[in-house]
Amino acid sequence: MKISYSWLKDFVDIDIAPEELAEKLTVSGFEVEEVIYQNEHLHDVYVGKITKIEKHKDADKLQVCTVDVGDKTVQIITSATNVFEGAVVPVSLEGADLCNGVKIKPTNFRGVKSDGMFCSGEELGIDENYIEGGGVNGILILPENTKIGAKIEDALLLNDVVFDVNVTPNRPDCNSVIGIAREVSAIYDVPLKDVDYSYKTCGGNVNDYISVEVKTKKCPRYMASYIKDLNLSRSPLWLRSRLFACGIKPINKIVDITNYVLVEQGQPMHAFEYNHLAGKKIVVRDAKKGEKIAVLNGNTYELDENDMVIADSDKPVVIAGIIGGVNSCVEPSTKETVFECAVFDLKSVRLTSRKIGVSTDSSMRYSKGVYVDTPVKALKRALHLVNELDAGKIVDGIIDKCDVKSKAHSFTASMSKIDKILGVEIDRNRVLQILNSLGIKSSLSGDKLHVEPPYYREDIECENDIAEELIRIYGYDIYNNLEGEAFENSSVTVGAYEPRLVFENNLKNELVDFGFYETLNYSLYSSSACDKLLIDDERKNVIKIANPISEELSTVRTVMAHALLLDIKFNLSVGNKDLRFFEVGKVYQPKALPLKELPVENNRLSIAVCEDGYDFFMLKNVVENLLVATSLKYKLERSTEPYLHSGVSADIIAEDGKKVGYFGKIHPKVLKNYDISHDVYYAELDTDYLSSLKEKLYSVKEVSKFAEVERDIAVVVDEEITNGELTSAIKSACGKLFAGAELFDVYRNISLGENKKSMAYKIHLLNEEKTMTAEEINAVINKVLKSLEYRYKAKLRA
Amino acid sequence: MKEKLEQILKDAQGEIEKCDDVKMLDEVRVKFLGKQGELTSILRNMKEVPPEERKTVGMLANGVREKVEEAIAKKGEKLNETALKLAMEKEKIDITMPSKGEKRGALHPLTRFNNKFMDICVAMGFTVIQGPEIDTDYYNFEALNVPKNHPARDMQDSLYITDNILLRTQTSNMQVHAMEELKPPFKIVCPGRVYRNDDDSSHSPIFNQFEALVVDENVGLKDLMKMIDVILKKLFGENVKMRVRPAYFPFTEPSIEIDATCQMCQGKGCSLCKGTGFSEVFGAGVVNPKVLEMSGIDSKKYSGFAFGPGIDRSVMVTNKIPNIKYLFRNDMRFLKQMR
Repeated sequence: MKISYSWLKDFVDIDIAPEELAEKLTVSGFEVEEVIYQNEHLHDVYVGKITKIEKHKDADKLQVCTVDVGDKTVQIITSATNVFEGAVVPVSLEGADLCNGVKIKPTNFRGVKSDGMFCSGEELGIDENYIEGGGVNGILILPENTKIGAKIEDALLLNDVVFDVNVTPNRPDCNSVIGIAREVSAIYDVPLKDVDYSYKTCGGNVNDYISVEVKTKKCPRYMASYIKDLNLSRSPLWLRSRLFACGIKPINKIVDITNYVLVEQGQPMHAFEYNHLAGKKIVVRDAKKGEKIAVLNGNTYELDENDMVIADSDKPVVIAGIIGGVNSCVEPSTKETVFECAVFDLKSVRLTSRKIGVSTDSSMRYSKGVYVDTPVKALKRALHLVNELDAGKIVDGIIDKCDVKSKAHSFTASMSKIDKILGVEIDRNRVLQILNSLGIKSSLSGDKLHVEPPYYREDIECENDIAEELIRIYGYDIYNNLEGEAFENSSVTVGAYEPRLVFENNLKNELVDFGFYETLNYSLYSSSACDKLLIDDERKNVIKIANPISEELSTVRTVMAHALLLDIKFNLSVGNKDLRFFEVGKVYQPKALPLKELPVENNRLSIAVCEDGYDFFMLKNVVENLLVATSLKYKLERSTEPYLHSGVSADIIAEDGKKVGYFGKIHPKVLKNYDISHDVYYAELDTDYLSSLKEKLYSVKEVSKFAEVERDIAVVVDEEITNGELTSAIKSACGKLFAGAELFDVYRNISLGENKKSMAYKIHLLNEEKTMTAEEINAVINKVLKSLEYRYKAKLRA
Repeated sequence: MKEKLEQILKDAQGEIEKCDDVKMLDEVRVKFLGKQGELTSILRNMKEVPPEERKTVGMLANGVREKVEEAIAKKGEKLNETALKLAMEKEKIDITMPSKGEKRGALHPLTRFNNKFMDICVAMGFTVIQGPEIDTDYYNFEALNVPKNHPARDMQDSLYITDNILLRTQTSNMQVHAMEELKPPFKIVCPGRVYRNDDDSSHSPIFNQFEALVVDENVGLKDLMKMIDVILKKLFGENVKMRVRPAYFPFTEPSIEIDATCQMCQGKGCSLCKGTGFSEVFGAGVVNPKVLEMSGIDSKKYSGFAFGPGIDRSVMVTNKIPNIKYLFRNDMRFLKQMR
C-alpha cells in the first residue's frame, strides 16, 4: 500500500529522513518495500514564461523561444505548435533526466542554440487527470499565475515521498494513512494529531430524500448522507496530488473525496447518482440467484445468494463493497448524491471478489476487514471535505443502520507469562508506555496486566499478542547482547534421523561414487506422461490438480521415469554426453478416484543412464551393489514394466513376493515417444520397503587354512540355457566343495552349431579339511560336466 | 709376502673402483678371487711359506680376501642402485595424463544443504521426520489458525486436488502432525517440498522448506533467537550478521522474519538482495497458543516455537548459483560443477 509522507505529517509531527523512517517501519512490522521520490525525474525543470517567439531561419517547423525562467533568460527551440508568447510552461534545462528517459543537454539546431526543452505532461509523469493540459499532445501550458522560476515539482506539487508499505493481514487497521500514523506515533513516541471532522449542513432532513433498509446479516453497519447542489469540478491540486501519489486517478470533487477518505481513514465509500436510485431507496441484501449486474469495468456478472448487493427498489446497483454498477455512480451531470459509508462482512466480500475476479481498492480493504466504528469518523471526514472543497450542500442528518455494537474488549494478562514468552524482562514502565502509545490502555498491578485495546485492535487477544507488540516496538536488538544459551530452562532431547532418510542418503552417496549425478524434478507433470510411457489404463489412475498452473504441471506424478527421460532428452539436446542420473522422490498413488482420502506417498530411487557402451549388466552391477548392504533376499524375474524393453529388463522380487524394484533398457517405443535416439537404461527401487527391512546382520565363518583351487571349463549349450541355470547346476554338483563359479566368457560361432553358445566358467573349490589332490579335483570337475550334460545337454568345448 | 698381499689389496681396490658395471666388477672378482685369481693362488701356495710364518701370512691373506669381497659387494650394491635408478628414469610417465576408472558424480546442492542443515539440527537434539505432501485443508490451514476465507490464505495460492485436499503450501502441516502424534517435550525438523500456484522468473511452483518445531515447558523467543544465531553461524560462518523483522504468520505469535548477511555478495549489496546486503532466511515465531490447543497440547503448561526457512534461496546463495531455475533444470553443465 502506498502512503504519502506529506499526508502522514497531517497526523504526526515528524521530520525524519524518509530512509530512516522506512527502516524503522520495517523493523516494527511494516515492511517498506520501496521509498519512491516523486521528484526523482523532475530536477532541473523550472516554470518559465515565453516572452518572445521567432521562426527558425533554416527550419520551417522550428520556433525559437525566449523564455524567462526567473533568475535568467534562456533560449529554447521547439517544434510544438501549442506554445504562444506569454505561455507559462515547464522548461527542462541541462542535467534534467525526464520520466520518459530523455536527458537534457544544450543542443544546436541548424546553427541556433537551444538551452533545453519544453515538457509535456507525459515527460513529467502526469496526465490530463492530474492537471488540465497534462494529456495534450504538445507542451503542458500551466496556469498563468504559476510562479515563474519555481521548481516544477513545487509548482505541480510533485514533491512528495511515497512509502510502499507491506501491511500484514492481521493489521487491517493499517491499510490507511491514519493507521500507519498511529504506528509512527508509537515508534517515535510522538503524539497523534487528528484532522478536522467538523462540517456544516444546510438544513432539510436526509430521511426526506432517501431511506435505507438492510436485509442481510452480512452488513453490520450502513451509514448514508445526502448532498445536493453538487459542484463536480476538479479537486484542488493538493488533494489531486495526494491521490496521485497513492496511485489513484483524480476524477471530480465528490469521487475524489470518497477516495481520499478511503486512503486516509481506510474506509471505502461510494457516491450514488441519486436520480438513478429507483424509489429513492437503498436496500442492502443478498443477491438473487441468477441476478445480473453491469458494472464500471465494462463487464456484466451473474450473482447468486452468496453475493451481496446494494439495490434500489427495483434492481441491484452495486456489488457490495466491490464495484459500482454502470448507472449507480456520480457522472458529470449529477446534481445530487448519496454517500455510502458501510461495513460489510469480510468473508462475503472476499468470496465474491475472488469468484468474479474483481479486486478494487474498496474490496481489498473490505476483505481484510473494516471495523464497525470506522465509518462514523470517516463519514464526518468526507462531509468536512465537502464543505472544504465547496462540493455541494449537505442536508441535515445521517442515516445509521447499525445492529452490532462495537465490543469493548479488555482482558487481564499475566506479566510473568509475557516475560516467559519473550525470555527477557522489559522494564515495567516501558511496557506501559509502549502499550499506551499504541492506543492499548494498560495498567499493571503485581503480575496482572490489564489491557484495553482500541476497537481497531481486535487482534490483541492474549499474552502472546501483547508480547509481540512490546518486542516489536522495543526492538529485537535486545537479544543481541543477552547472556545465555538456547534451551537453558528446558528438556534435553536426543536428535535422530528418520531411518529412511539415512538409508536414502547412503544410496545417494554410493551412486555418487559410481559416477552418478543427483537430479531434482518437479513432482507434477503433464497428463500425457503415462501415455508416453505406455502405461495402460488400469495403472493410469492419476491424481489431477483442480487448478493447475499449466498442462505441463497438471498431474501429480505416479512414475519417476518421465522426468528423468525428459532430463536426458534435454541434456542430449544441449550436447551433454555420458549422462548418469539419479533422483530420490515421491510418487503418489490414489486409493480411489476422485480422491476421498489422502493418497499413498511412496518414496522411490530412480536411476537413468545414457552413455555409449553402457549395458544391462553394468546397471545390474549398480543395483546389486546398492542392495548388497541391505538384508534383502531377492530373485530376478523378467520385468513386466511397460516402459522397459521386455527382453532386457528384470523385476526385483523380494522373498515375500513383493516387487521392490526393476531395471533394464527403456522400451524402444518409449524412446521414440521422448524423441531420444540413444539407448537409455533405467532402474527404480522402493526405498520405503528397503529402508523398513531389518538391518543386515553378519555371522562370520572361520577362514579356511587351505587355499582355494581353480579350474576353468567351457561348455557348449543351447542359447536358451541361462547362466543362472548353469551356475546353480555347478554349485549343486560341487556340493560342499563349492566356493564360487564365475562366468568369464561367452562365445558364439557357427562352428559351435546352430543356436549354440559356449559358456566358460572359473570354478573355485575348497576343502575345509585338507589340501585337495589332483585326482580329487578332477573327480569333482567330471561330476560337474556330467551334471551339466545330463541337465542341459552341455558338451565340454573341445 | 706381506708386501705382495698389500699390493694385491691395493690393486684390487683400484680396479674395483674403476668398474662401471656389474660385468666389469665380476671380471675383477674372478681376477682376484677366482680359482685362478691372484689371492687364491697365494692361499693355494701356502705350503711354500715357511711354517712359522704360515699363520701370520694366512691371517693376512684371509684379511685381504675379506676386504676385497667386501669392496666388491659394496661396489655391486652401488652399481645396482645406479642401474635401477636408470631403469626407473626410463619408465617415467606423464603424470598429467587423465586418471582411469569411475569418476565421482555429485549430490544435488539442495541435498547437500539439507544434509548440512539436518546435521546441525540433529546435533541440537532435533528428530528429522517427514510427512505427507498431499494433505487436507485442516493440516495445511485450519489447524494452523488459518480458517477458510482468512486473509492469510491470499499469501499462499494453493494447488487443490479437491475442495478439501491440496498440495501442501508449507511444511508447517508437519507441525500439526507432530503435535498430534508426539508427546512434549519434543524437537522436530522436517525437510520437504511445498507447492504454490505461482510460476514466474523468480518463483518455482515447487520449492523446498524446512519446518522446525520445539514444544516444551519454558521455551520462548530467547531460545529461538539464540538457537537461530547458532544455526546461522554453522550454516554461513561465524561472521554472519542477522537482522530481525516482525512479521505475521497465523500460527505463531510473536512472528518474525530473519534476514542474514547475503551470501551472494557477503553483505556488500547485490541484485539478489536488492542492495540491502541481507537476504531473508527464516520465518519464525512463538507457537500461537490457539494452535497448540487445537492439536491437543495444553498451552498453559507448554509453549513452543517454530521456524522454517525456504531453502532454495540459501542453496542458491551459498553456491553462487546465478539463477533459481537451475535447481530443477538438471543440466549436466550445472550438475558437474557440484562435484
